[in-house]
Parts: sequence; C-alpha cells; structure tokens
Amino acid sequence: MSVQPKGSGQTPSAVRPTVKLTIDGVQVEVPKGTGLVEAALAAGIEIPVFCYEPRLGAPVGACRMCLCEITPGPPKPQAACTLQAADGMEVRTALTSAVAAEAQNATLEFILVNHPLDCPVCDKGGECPLQDLTFRYGPGDTRMTFPKRTFDKPIPISPLIALDRERCILCYRCTRFSEQVAEDGQLVAVNRGSQTQIATFEDEPYRAPFTGNVVELCPVGALTSTTYRFEARPWEIQDVPSVCGLCPVGCNVNVTTREGKVKRILSRNHPEVDQGWLCDKGRFAYRHLNAEDRLRDPLLRVRRRGFEEISWERALDEAEQLLRAAHGRVVTALSGSETVEQAYALAKLLRRGLDSHTAVLPEEISDALDSLRLPLSAIADADAIALLGDAPVVERAPIVELWIKQAKRNGARVVTSIGELGEAANAILVWCGPDGDGGARVAALAESTGARGAFYLPETANTRGVCDAWAAAADAEAANPDPIALLIVSGDEAAANPAVRALAEQAERVLVISMFHGLAGGWADLVLPGTSYLERDGTYVNLEGRVQRLRRTVIPPAPDELVWISRLAERFGVEVSPYPSAVFEEVSAIAFGGILLGAVGELAELPPATDDKGSGQTPSGSDPEPSGLQLIRYRPLFSGPAVERTPELQFQRPLAEVELSRHDATDRRIRNGDEVTVRSNGTSVTLRARISEDLRAGIVRIADEHAGDLQPSVELAT
Amino acid sequence: MATELVLADARDRDLTKLAEYEEVAGYTALAKARGMEPQAVIDEVVASELRGRGGAFFPAGRKWAFIPKPDQNPNPHYLVVNADESEPGSFKDNEIMATVPHRFIEGCLITAHAVEARQVFVYIRGEYTGPYEVLVAALEELKGRDDLLSGVTIVLHRGAGAYICGEETALLESLEGKRGQPRTKPPFPAVEGLYRSPTVVNNVETMATVPQIIRVGAAEYAKLGVPDSRGTRVVSISGHVQRPGNYEIENGTSVRSLIYDLGGGITGDRALKAVIPGGSSTVILRYDEIDVGYDFNSLLALKTAMGSAGVVVLDDRCCMVQLGIRISEFYEHESCGKCTPCREGTRWMTQILRRLEAGDAEQHELDLLLDVCDRINGKCLCPLGETAAIAVASYVDKFRGEFQQHVDEGACPFGDSSPLHNVLAPVAMHTHSPVATVPA
Repeated sequence: MSVQPKGSGQTPSAVRPTVKLTIDGVQVEVPKGTGLVEAALAAGIEIPVFCYEPRLGAPVGACRMCLCEITPGPPKPQAACTLQAADGMEVRTALTSAVAAEAQNATLEFILVNHPLDCPVCDKGGECPLQDLTFRYGPGDTRMTFPKRTFDKPIPISPLIALDRERCILCYRCTRFSEQVAEDGQLVAVNRGSQTQIATFEDEPYRAPFTGNVVELCPVGALTSTTYRFEARPWEIQDVPSVCGLCPVGCNVNVTTREGKVKRILSRNHPEVDQGWLCDKGRFAYRHLNAEDRLRDPLLRVRRRGFEEISWERALDEAEQLLRAAHGRVVTALSGSETVEQAYALAKLLRRGLDSHTAVLPEEISDALDSLRLPLSAIADADAIALLGDAPVVERAPIVELWIKQAKRNGARVVTSIGELGEAANAILVWCGPDGDGGARVAALAESTGARGAFYLPETANTRGVCDAWAAAADAEAANPDPIALLIVSGDEAAANPAVRALAEQAERVLVISMFHGLAGGWADLVLPGTSYLERDGTYVNLEGRVQRLRRTVIPPAPDELVWISRLAERFGVEVSPYPSAVFEEVSAIAFGGILLGAVGELAELPPATDDKGSGQTPSGSDPEPSGLQLIRYRPLFSGPAVERTPELQFQRPLAEVELSRHDATDRRIRNGDEVTVRSNGTSVTLRARISEDLRAGIVRIADEHAGDLQPSVELAT
Repeated sequence: MATELVLADARDRDLTKLAEYEEVAGYTALAKARGMEPQAVIDEVVASELRGRGGAFFPAGRKWAFIPKPDQNPNPHYLVVNADESEPGSFKDNEIMATVPHRFIEGCLITAHAVEARQVFVYIRGEYTGPYEVLVAALEELKGRDDLLSGVTIVLHRGAGAYICGEETALLESLEGKRGQPRTKPPFPAVEGLYRSPTVVNNVETMATVPQIIRVGAAEYAKLGVPDSRGTRVVSISGHVQRPGNYEIENGTSVRSLIYDLGGGITGDRALKAVIPGGSSTVILRYDEIDVGYDFNSLLALKTAMGSAGVVVLDDRCCMVQLGIRISEFYEHESCGKCTPCREGTRWMTQILRRLEAGDAEQHELDLLLDVCDRINGKCLCPLGETAAIAVASYVDKFRGEFQQHVDEGACPFGDSSPLHNVLAPVAMHTHSPVATVPA
C-alpha cells in the first residue's frame, strides 16, 4: 500500500477536499481521489487484493479478490480496487456482507482449483499473500476433483529469475511493472484464457536494469529469484533494515539474513527516495560478500614471496610504522563508499594526528545545491526535466531513471539541453556526467532558469558524506607532498581508480584497505581487509543530501574499519570512538546540524532546503565545440567489484554498443543494430549502434569496458 | 413482417456498387444529416428509440449524447464500429457488410457527424474476408468523393481471431495494438475510449439502420416494432430449420413465426426441442416457450434476450449436456484470461460437463456445476464469463431431467445421435505448448 509520508515531495498545496463514506458501518473521511482499498485501511478494514498495486498505474480489476457490495452502484459486487471513495458511498466488505464474503470465497476457490499445493517446498510459503488470504477468506476444503492444469516448470526467464507457471495466478503485476514502470516491455502474457502464461518477449532472457522487482511484486511463488530459491524458510530468517550502498540514490532495503549470511535483499519502500523499487545490482550484488578472493586477514608485502598473512596486532604495528615513517608526507585516496563515521575517523587520525591534509576525494559536492534541495519523488511531479551532462542516468543512479519515466508518463517534457527547457512553471534539472563541477554548474543553471530544483548525480554512494566528514575533521590547507611517502588507499573504488594507481607509482609506500585480494595485490605494502556496506553500522549521505542509516546485517570476517582506526588513532594521541553513534554525534555537530544517530530513523527525512541562494553567477563553461562527436565514456551500472563477484549478474553486463542520437544516426545513415566503427586519432573499436531518443546530437556514449583507448573526440563510420 | 430497412433493395440490386446505391437514394440521408446540427441528429436518433444491435441493446442516441463536447474535452472524438461479429449463431453483420456496404458506411458518416468525429475505425472480424473485400472496394469507390467523405477517414482494421475483441473495451485495447483484454469500467468509452479520447462504439447493424432513420424520420421509424424495441432487426436463423439464413423482421414478431414461417419449420419434420434466441450467450427457450414476441420486453419476461439475434433452433435429438459442452468449451477457449472467475470457472465448467456426458458424474457434481456457474455469474470483469455461466445454467434449469438422466443412467441417453455437429461448430482447440527455452 502506498502511504504518503509526512513532508512528501508535494508542494504544500491547498488542502485537498475530503469525502465522507461508510465502510462496514464505520464512517471515514478521506481526501478526494483516495482509492477504496486505502479508504478502508483508514477505517481499519482490510479489502483483500492480489492484482491491485497502486505503484503499477491504473488499477486493472483482474483478480476479483476485492469484490465488495457498494451503493450506489449496480446490484452485483464491485471490484473495490478500481473505485475511488465518494461522498455518501456505502461499502460492505466480507465483514458485513454475505454477498461480498461469497464473492471473495468464490475468487479464492477459482484461484486454488489449479494452484499446486507445493507450499511446503515453495519459497513463498510462509510469506505468501495467497496463503494468508486463503486463511482469512477462503474455502476450508476443495471441490476440485479434476487433474490440475500443468505447465513445464520452473523456467529460467533469466539467470536471476525462475518462473513457475503453475503457481501463477495471473495478477499481471509483473507484466504491468515491465510495461508501465520499468518500460522495458519484456515481460508479456501469451496465449489466452486458462492457458494464459507469463513469458518474456520472444523467449529472450529478461535482461533489464530492474527485473528483480517482479519477484517481490509476485503475490505467489511464481517468480522466484535463483539466488534465494530453496535457501531459507521465512520463519528462520531475519530482516535488517538498511540502505543500499552501491549508488548515490541510497535505496532503502531490508536485508534478509539466515545464520549470519545475507540471503537476499528486498526493497523497503521509502516513498521519497525509491518508491519500493530496486535495481538488480542493489538487489543481487550482495553475493560479493562471499567472494572467493575476499580478504580476511591483513597482508604484509614480503620481498619476492609476495604477501604474508599477519595478525591484526602486527598489522597495527606495521601501519603505525608506515605512518610515522612518512613524516606527514601522506596522501589519502578515499572511495566515497566509506561511512561518514569511517571517513571522519580516518580524517581525524591523519589530519589531527599527523597533520596530513592531502586527500584524493571523491568529487566535492557544491553547497549551492542545498538551496535547490528536493526529494527525488519531486521529479515525478515536474512539468519539465532537463537531463544534463550527457551520461546515462540509469547507469549511475538507476532509480532516478524510474522517477524520470514516471514524470514522462505524468506528462512532463524531458529535454537534454538547457536551451530546450523554455518556460516551465515546475522544472527540475538533473546533471549526470563529467564537467559538472560538483553540482555547481547545475545549481547555477537552476538559479538562472528559475528551475524548482536541481539534482547532481555523483559517482559513488556516499560522495557527499565522505567529503563532509573529511572537511569536518580539520580546517587546514592541504600541501601537496612531493615525494609522497605514503599513499593510503581507502576502499575498492579508490583502489580501482586509474588516477590513484598512477599516484601509487610515485609513492614510496602504499597502504590499501580493500575487501578483495584482486584489487590489493601487486601494489600494496600493507593490506588491511575492508568491509562491505552490508557489514557496517553508520551513515551515508545520498545525492539528495539525505543522511541515511546503515545497519550491520552480518558480522564481517574482519574488524570494522572504525574499530581499528580508533585503536590506531590512540597510538597517535587522537581520540576516536569505535562506536558509530559517538562518531556521528561529533560529525553531526559540525556538518549535519547536530542531529543524533537515533533521530535518523528508518525512513530518513530530507533536511529542508537552505535559504541562501548561490552566488547566482551564470555558469562558466560554454561547451567546447569538439570537431567530431563527443564521446562520453561511462561506468556501467553492471560493473565494479561487487558485480564482478556475482556470477548471476554477468549476463547484465553492458553489450558492446555505441549509443548515438537520432540526429547523428540519420546524418550518417546508421540504423539500430548496424555495426559501426568508432575512431579517434589512431585507435578504433567496432560496436553495434543503438539509437537513443534521450541523447543530444553530437554526443555518443560507450560503456568504459567497450571504449578501449578512445579519446573524447570521435567519428563514426559504418 | 418482412419490412426491410437495413437490407432494403439488396435483393434486386447490387448495392455494393456506389452508383446502384445512389440510385436508391443512397447517401441522401447523409446530405440531410449534414444539413442538421450534430445535436439535432442525436435528438432524432434518440427520438427513434434505436437501440444498439450488438447485443446489449443500449439506446444509441443516448450513448452518443454521452460524448463530451469539445469544450469539455479537447481530445479528438472517435467512432469505432464493432464488426467483430463472433457470437456463435450470429452472422447478420456479415451479410449487412457484404450486401449493403454503402448503407453501412453512410450510417458511419452520419454518426461521425453527430458525434463530431473525424476518424472512423471499423474493427472487422479477421475471418470475415468476404465482407472485408467488399468494404475495401466500397471505400475505394468513395475515394475522390469528398462530397460524401467530407474529410472523414474510415480505417478498416482486421481482428486476429479473438471473440473477446467483440467486447468494446477489449476491442479498443486491440485497436491500440495491445493485448485484447477488457478494461475495467468506468471510465466508459464515451469518456475515455480509444487513445483515452471520447469514443462511440456501435455495431454494424446499428450503423446500417441510422441512414433509414434519418431518411424517413424518427417518428416514422418508431412506428415499427413494439415499445422499447422499435424498428427492424436482422435475425440470423440457423440450426434444424428448413431455410436457415438472415431475415429482417419487425421487432415483436413471434419466435414461433421465426422458426416456422421464415425458417420453414424443423428439418425432417421433427419436433422442436429448444431454441437459443439471441446467440450462444442467451438463456435457452424450451419448445413450449416460443409463443413470445421477439423483442426486448417479451424476452426479458422469460429472462432471456435478443442478444446479437442469432436464433439457433434445436430438434428433439439434441443432447443438452452436449450443447453445454459445446458452449462451455467455446467460452473456455475464448476467455481472455484476465479475470479469475471466467478464466478458471469456464475451464472447470467444461470439466464437469464432460464428466456428466461420460456418465461418470455423481449427484453432487450436478449441483457443483450450478454452483460454479453461480460463482462466475456477477463476479467477472466483463460479460464473457457471465454469459457462459448464465447460458449453461439455463440448460440445466430447463432440462434438469435430462441432466439427471446422465447421472442416473451413467451414460448419455443420446450419444452420438445428437446432431449438434451441424448446429454450432465445435471449437477447434489449439494445442499450446510454447515452452520458453531461455539460455540460463
């Protein structure tokens, strides 16, 4: 059920008119336009549903589970889910109406005549709406004496999802999600009547960024994830509320654990952030926790023999020695995936304890954005959206793409340059791509166009939080040490960053904090095992500027970074608490207005937009006119250390494609699927063409892993 | 009795030709209507008491009046003609389109004027290749006759073999290129129809009647027929009669007269057992219920309807359980699969009926059949499943003894001698086994 949170993205509008109706004799007053299912909920009454799901668009009234007696109306039971509350309406559910009770009982009998009784081995068993509603409204026995309808099963519709057509009750939630939310159009119903089946279009694998949501939407065990199948029973699992740490959206999640292992990740609907949707990376990449090359013990470089596993006590001694020997000539490369607390602890140790202020930070986010701050859900209500920066939104912050699609369905105009924005009362700018100056450019553009809000999509999950934490620890200028005595590489994004790798060449010593052997080996003198976002307590600040709470869902195989940083800091006379709540309190006093960790809550609120407008300066940077086409290389959604360590996600990795605009395709007579050669001086790659309607003329996009050594200016030839 | 309006002059002339049609004052009603305000045309049709000929019998003029005026809804208006005639027993629209295509088109153009639509979509049953060719030729002849078309475009769209696409909202979905499944109502098509715009959906015969109403005037037209069922009706008579075919009758003519006068009586001079009055979805009439007027009120008194005017005559050798299977199989096969009671219920009905026919059913299963029908009826998203349940339940209701006999004797008393094969064609069940094979 969608429950509007307080302070949702809506502009405070005039108070909505209300209507009064009675449901089972209970009088309720609800805002006009409220659906009967929600109106009944307001009266504390359940109208049972299977197909109804307001996030999927207009109700379809297919399953007939919600039949109620409703006056005024025709003299037969009505599908309550398709109706809105109206003044004077009288609704009688199964509680008070024999007609409604009979209708709901009939619906369940019909659903069950062909539903297999394999509940004991069904993953949904125990958390199944069909079981629950049968218990409450259904027949106690069966009158079906014929063989049940059978289909081949289970069918893998992708490496991630298995389809059991016998269990399917044809509520069409999955196909509606595919068609009307993700708009990938890949899940369809085929055949007719009792032979109707869910299928992928042309039986191709369901390959799209958001496929896993259909598993969660399925009200029975028809769509199950291959990673969770037969892994647990619902009564042996625990769900831990946390936040996804794989992109700057920060989707709210429930992490299902069993016996100390993560078994699956479910959405935890934050109506302003994610609306209960997750991308497949956020849902499935937890498998990286148990990767084969996961580091469990600290490693010390031993000449010729490579690495030697050492104890944590020894590791701290070695780290202390490295730090002391560097005499302050330390550079720290941060990932942007550290928690606020870890980043602050590290900063405090280095900046206060060693007077080492030099850091390679994830891109610093401009304060100018704070006066344009809106919840992501505000995108859905925009009249016009300018998508700037030219990089694909779905690859960097996938849920933002869903909000934009929703806005389009609501009638918003979406343009790809500020010039096309024109007059719009309620415009929102989104910057995704290079040269954004940490959001300063998009903020300035918003000021100059009068846009209502602006979003800047950073590359990593906690870019904002890490920068805030680093800044909060001290107030001193960085001096660029030359030579670098010690390079500290914090986390896997930093370790995978070519610029950081280049710095390592100049550094005398390198200390790496990493989860995986593959990223640490070869260049580090000391390796300290890292932890995952699923193993930490602490906070992340998402792209909106919302401070959200991470919870430790499972015990990591190595101590949390905060714990050993705290102990190392002690050796330098710097006091750092090993407890995230205490560290947060310290940072918060400086950076987050003094809120306490406990106040962040499970559905974090967005701080209000600040009043002080930016300098109002018109953005610098007229785009340089490249001679040919401008190449945007991007890091694809399905890439990175976590994805690489999740075998089931490999089929989602980007195709060898070059994306180009309709205009450029027409100019060059290139059609979708054509093989084209992309050239820049001296180098070329051959890729399949994909024409994108959301791309500016003059821009082509290629995923990093397919772009080879291409330079920013390219030409295309068939 | 044989008062012909819709099929008038088609016996003596080839009215598929524009010139011939114009010789019998064709398209003069269009000129007359265009000389009237759209609202005046609607008023005229309201006054004629014309009701929709597709099956639901909804007053046509009132339906048109529901269309919001352009100042209330700026979207374009559409006229969609339901030519997806697929009801077992009905084949009247086929003949109308094949023999009087221009009268049908004239009706479309008048209606388009009345509801201020510039686009007309004719959704024609895919299997109707003959009428389709005729309409294509007729529209070809109209090219260049802008005096008649006046800028209105008429698009023929062929269905792909789904009975459900005769349900108006499923038809609209299909026309939009989507899976043909009914929409939940409200909103009704008049408010949100094709492409979410105001849309009138009318039957072929309704359209072909409109020119005659405009030509003779509502008052004159309404003199024909009986209260609540004015004018004429093209009736498809089939089954065990001497002269099956389409006949245009004045509403109110007795069912007996349809069978014995127009149809020429039962073949082989056998006795009448039952008659399905309005296509497969209507409640059956027993041999002793045929002294009833073929009109809305008279048939309503017997809890049945004219439906889509498919009169199916059954002689005394017919097995009602076999008839039930035939009908139930059809609806099971044609159920779209969207709503639960229809999708699951029609399949279950067929299973029980087959067991009854085989003589394997126990007493409680006869009651179960009625209970399943009852649990479908009134619970579905659209009328498809409901009419299946109503029709089959009526066979049990009116021939309970025969159903009981199947249980008591453990066998069908008629067996293979029941001559249903030449009454309603059996459903050629498709075999579906499109198992997805996806590389893991």
